[in-house]
Amino acid sequence: MKLLIVEDQAKTGHYLRQGLSEAGFATELAADGETGLHLALTGDHALLILDVMLPGRDGWQILQAVRQAGLETPVLFLTARDAVEDRVHGLELGADDYLVKPFAFSELLARVRSLLRRGASPSLDTTLTLADLRLDLIRRRAERAGQRIDLTAKEFALLELLLRRQGEVLPKSLIASQVWDMNFDSDTNVIEVAIRRLRLKIDDAHRNKLIHTVRGMGYVLEERQD
Amino acid sequence: MRRLSLGSRLALLFAACTAAVSLTAGLLFSHASKHHFVELDQQLLGARLSQLRSQLAGVDSADKLAARLPALRGELSHQADLALRIRGAEGELWFQSRPGLPEDAVQPGLATLRADSVDYRSLSVPLDEHAEHAAQLTLFLDITHHQHFLQGMQRLIWLTVGLSALATALLGAWAARRGLRPLRQIGEVAASVSAHSLTTRLPVAQMPEELAQLASTVNAMLQRLDDAFQRLSAFSADIAHELRTPLSNLLTHTQVTLTRPRSLEEYREALHGNLEELQWMAQLVNDMLYLAKADHGLLMPNRQPLELAAEVDALLDYYAALAEESDVQLLREGAATIEGDRHMLRRALSNLLDNALRFTPQGGTIKVSLTAGLSITVANTGPAIEAGALQRLFDRFYRADPARREGSSEHAGLGLAITRSIVQAHGGGIRAECEGGWTRFVINLPG
Repeated sequence: MKLLIVEDQAKTGHYLRQGLSEAGFATELAADGETGLHLALTGDHALLILDVMLPGRDGWQILQAVRQAGLETPVLFLTARDAVEDRVHGLELGADDYLVKPFAFSELLARVRSLLRRGASPSLDTTLTLADLRLDLIRRRAERAGQRIDLTAKEFALLELLLRRQGEVLPKSLIASQVWDMNFDSDTNVIEVAIRRLRLKIDDAHRNKLIHTVRGMGYVLEERQD
Repeated sequence: MRRLSLGSRLALLFAACTAAVSLTAGLLFSHASKHHFVELDQQLLGARLSQLRSQLAGVDSADKLAARLPALRGELSHQADLALRIRGAEGELWFQSRPGLPEDAVQPGLATLRADSVDYRSLSVPLDEHAEHAAQLTLFLDITHHQHFLQGMQRLIWLTVGLSALATALLGAWAARRGLRPLRQIGEVAASVSAHSLTTRLPVAQMPEELAQLASTVNAMLQRLDDAFQRLSAFSADIAHELRTPLSNLLTHTQVTLTRPRSLEEYREALHGNLEELQWMAQLVNDMLYLAKADHGLLMPNRQPLELAAEVDALLDYYAALAEESDVQLLREGAATIEGDRHMLRRALSNLLDNALRFTPQGGTIKVSLTAGLSITVANTGPAIEAGALQRLFDRFYRADPARREGSSEHAGLGLAITRSIVQAHGGGIRAECEGGWTRFVINLPG
């Protein structure tokens, strides 16, 4: 599972590489378009992260060459420009996602994981579990330590998302987008309130807390040893 | 090819008009004079002929005429410009007072003839009115002086036409130049406009009626440019100001943290503090870029048919928990459909709801009303906002409560400006009003 990052800004490239490596991905970094294209065509990558503005060949040209070579590797674009035509152009050429700078690393990580998961066959699980938490997707029931928990439809959707992506830090924007279909940055604390209410039902009565806040990044559902 | 100047065009038109008028007048006058001369000649010839006829009464052959010739010659000698020819009933020449006269006219009566470059008017009558075949008297009047007069007059007419056309062309050019001075004035003002002098205005009161509208249009344009420019300047200043606080926090905080060794926990705290500032700044920059895109007309709604009731319900569902926490009731009434961009409209309404939630006191109500016509009203109970502030709510970085401005990490004051941009990108308008304990934001959209 190797990722290729093509980014000419040394600092940005370094930080991205460090962040993705620490998140458990093997990464390669190219600082210009030519090297990037060469690596993309010769190496076996699970995902390409391309800056649009690059010396040599720009991100679009790399994407074009990669698609012409018959590679279906998913491509995530990073750009400092947010013009509609850029976005359309990128998507027409076969880009899979698009992030505009400034973006939060947690957002990038969540998108990377979504793209990597896209290829995999959808999970056929009818129940999701973590520790003593069980979510029955067919009967729409949640249980903790054998005890039934009443959840609203949105709380159920939120818990399902957290369980499906357990161990991943989910930024608030991703939660808003996946659970409520609100696809814009907003500075409300709607998600905080929703998480607080879910915690009240899932975690409060138990010593072993499952929902954790990662300050400044988002929320994660995982079992932690004290 | 360069088009003729307005002044030259007007001058030429003036000249052409004057020439046409004076030419017509001249031709009419000339024609009338000619006609007048013909009448005069006819009278003269008629009078002389009847005199001659009575003098020659009883003459029915050349011999009888011969007897009367001396008296006739005496009679004719008094008038040098008159000449007489008498022909017998068969057309044979009986008498001719002088040689070189033109042939008789084909038709009897008055005729204008020419011989040896002398013009004559001739009138023919029978000598005896009552006889079947009578001798024919033809009297010739030399009209050369008339013709000279008429020719002179025609020359005069052409001269008048030419001179008056020239004079009006020159006068017209001068008049047009004077008349077009306000236009030049507009040009001068337009040329003097720059980013630093957008306050220049045209004196509409001094403009002629035809140009007053143009002048006030230009003034209105200058006013709009001035407003937009002022807003833009203020916007840049605001951006700098808004970024200054978090930047200075970051600088201070980072430097203070680095001044001496600290525990791991303290470093982590410092980074978290910085992260909050940075996220706030990133949000601010993204919002500003969004607004900049709107300003450049690049906010293009991806239109699709939408049930607004469903969209509003989804938003109320999104905010339900938050509203419940602060004991605020969320309501929706009415329904409407629209061709609009789902994400953009959700964002616009979300900002309004977010704003309403901030200002609705505990136990209050937020009501979203939809009318098919088409309007969306987001109303909330709460303290009245003064009229001056209502106007400014949609301004960037404006906050009704100045105390919230500094150090508020959560709200940059761009939400309502973004809402307005989105509404405008959909061809609609938004206004805020305050009445009877309710604050209302009313969006009107083309249906």
